[in-house]
Amino acid sequence: MSQETILEALKEALRRLPGVGPKSAQRMALHLLERDREGMRILAQALASAAEQIRHCTRCNNFAEEELCAICASSRRDHSLLCVVETPSDLVSLEQSGAYNGVYYVLMGRLSPLDGIGPEELGIARLEALLATGRVKEVVLATNPTVEGEATAHYLSELVRAHGIRATRIAYGVPVGGELEYTDRGTLARALTGRREA
Amino acid sequence: MRVSQQPGFVLHSRHYSETSLILEVFTREQGRLGLLAKGARRRSSPWQGMLKPFQPLLLSWTGRSDLALLIGAETEGAAIALDVDSIYCGFYLNELLMRLLHRHDPHERLFDAYRSALRALAGAAVPEIVLRIFEKNLLSDIGYGLVLDRDIQDNAPLVPEALYEYVLDQGPVRVVDSDLHRPPRGIRVHGESLMALALEQLLAPRALRETKSLVRAALSRHLGGRPLHSRRLYQHIQALRSRRGGSDSPT
Ligand SMILES: [Zn+2]
Repeated sequence: MSQETILEALKEALRRLPGVGPKSAQRMALHLLERDREGMRILAQALASAAEQIRHCTRCNNFAEEELCAICASSRRDHSLLCVVETPSDLVSLEQSGAYNGVYYVLMGRLSPLDGIGPEELGIARLEALLATGRVKEVVLATNPTVEGEATAHYLSELVRAHGIRATRIAYGVPVGGELEYTDRGTLARALTGRREA
Repeated sequence: MRVSQQPGFVLHSRHYSETSLILEVFTREQGRLGLLAKGARRRSSPWQGMLKPFQPLLLSWTGRSDLALLIGAETEGAAIALDVDSIYCGFYLNELLMRLLHRHDPHERLFDAYRSALRALAGAAVPEIVLRIFEKNLLSDIGYGLVLDRDIQDNAPLVPEALYEYVLDQGPVRVVDSDLHRPPRGIRVHGESLMALALEQLLAPRALRETKSLVRAALSRHLGGRPLHSRRLYQHIQALRSRRGGSDSPT
């Protein structure tokens, strides 16, 4: 293999990263080659280990390095409270709020009939297995307030209630510190329809 | 080519790059087309929260390729508020349009029928009736309209109480007593049911039942044997609900 094709292969590989186009890929590749050979080895090693060793937690479906992730393995968390989210980054956001002490289930997507994603494609059977253990007393549905997210929440609420478990939906509304004037119409509509006793 | 303020709906959207969306839209005068909405996912985008299914929009774009560039979008009134049940019917309508319409074919009448169907689903209408009427209009708009006024053998007007066999791609043929002993040539349906579908007055349970089989069979000819995911999803939900006592699927 000549040097050019190795460099091309590196640029192609970098382009797999989100938001990286041909120009950024070229800049990254040349930067690493010119100034940070050691960084390249570290990066290669970290990528290889992650690809090899990070898998899905057998309970919550989030990424984990052991059979159970740190949250599922923790005895300090309330295992009777289960929050369902679409993606690992949604889980991170909820964790950062510090307001939640239950456990999670990560769907890794949402129901989307027009993309051909139904309950089987989403692996709902694993969530059902979790519900069937009898440990969960309440399921908090924290899918996004998009059309698909709402449909997913509705489907899951039927599923959860079919197991005789309580289902709740998180409230969406005006952001703290946000002004009504600058809140988009959809959010305002939800804030109004989702209003509670005050 | 530049198109301004065209009434339209988003049928489906998917993420493109970090900040943009690729939309599949159905517009009144330009039919179905693909639009690139650059920067639509930025928090600062004026389109934030607007480019979603069931929201009446006025769309402006430029370019004539398979992926034109969205340059303007405004809401035309509030989003059509489909509740948890009718949202699956909304997905079903969108999936039918995605599967059966070719890009850039205008379907003005069908667009109006789609908008009315969404409004009816958001209102007090029976979803099943709304869907049957939309499906009938869809078939006729894509050139496969059902024959709902006469017997195709003798061109005699339909007799309400008579039984017919609807032969797909042809039309209804009246059943005589001796026919009842052999396998049917098509879907068995009463004259009254066909006439009710033509008049869009599907109130009788028998008419609803019979026209559902008929329209389903007619649609499946054009869906190439691939299942409709929204229908499957709805059936899943009904199955869950039937553990607690539920009703029939309208799709
Ligand atoms: Zn876990």
